[in-house]
Amino acid sequence: MQWMTLFQKELLENWRNKKWVWVPLVIILLSVMDPLTTYYLPQIIDSVGGMPEGAVFEIPELAPTEVILMSLSQLSSLGILVIVLILMGTIAGERKSGVSELVLVKPVSYMNYITAKWVSYLLLVWVSLFLGLLVSWYYINILFGTLTFGEFLTVFFFYGMWLTLVVSLTIFYNTVFKSGGLVAFFTILTIMLMSIITQIFQHILDWSPNNLSSYILESLTSGEISSDLLATAAVTLGLSLILLLLASQIFKRKEMAV
Amino acid sequence: MVNINWALIAPILIIQVILLLVAIVDLVKVKETNGPKWLWALIIVLISIIGPVLYFIFGRRSR
Repeated sequence: MQWMTLFQKELLENWRNKKWVWVPLVIILLSVMDPLTTYYLPQIIDSVGGMPEGAVFEIPELAPTEVILMSLSQLSSLGILVIVLILMGTIAGERKSGVSELVLVKPVSYMNYITAKWVSYLLLVWVSLFLGLLVSWYYINILFGTLTFGEFLTVFFFYGMWLTLVVSLTIFYNTVFKSGGLVAFFTILTIMLMSIITQIFQHILDWSPNNLSSYILESLTSGEISSDLLATAAVTLGLSLILLLLASQIFKRKEMAV
Repeated sequence: MVNINWALIAPILIIQVILLLVAIVDLVKVKETNGPKWLWALIIVLISIIGPVLYFIFGRRSR
């Protein structure tokens, strides 16, 4: 009951500050950009000009699966930046302005407070991702060739796991730092470090969350969901839940200490 | 002349316009922003896509 109230407060807040309008729109634009520009690349080169006379520029034929991976890579850079930026102040800002004290002075459990935020933002991110990939999928089917709905769902579900981890990580740092800038900085830093570590210790870290995209591509080309993909998704989800638990513990300590 | 299928591009343009309109309406309604309002209006209108996003992330003041 209490959880539902907190959850509704979060939904209402995200609706009032228009996040439910602009985040989906931006995610749609991001995921559609690459497929469209790739398709129109010959025309773009033509109109820009500057190619020497008689030069022939071969543009490789792209498989639909490769194009949807382009959408994902765009989401992995700018999309993640947007997600981190909208989340950076969610707890940190409330602690600074004293809203969280107003909420927590009542017998509200810390776990409820944090999970309500987590679920409400996950809902926003997953809905945006669904819409973005859906539009991208539609364009790919028109421009590049068929990608089945099942394949689309695979991409959506497993890539959503990665975004879930990003949301959890940002919420975790929200409980550690009081300033939104620091939260954003350390979240991005952690994500970058994770990808470096994954590259260095490739032979050991088979199931690192950073490998999700490559396993998604692998299972799209082979046509079946590999056990590696499932294991990586499980690891990603596990890490998210651990971060959430840690976040509520840290939050409890900090609030009691003050 | 470059041959572009406008039916394909139109949805993207419409999304951009919606984004811009939502940002402008919000800017007009909201009482105070971080920094001068007219500056945000310029940013929203002149920088496509990124302008409205910048406004929503950095321009809005949470009371």
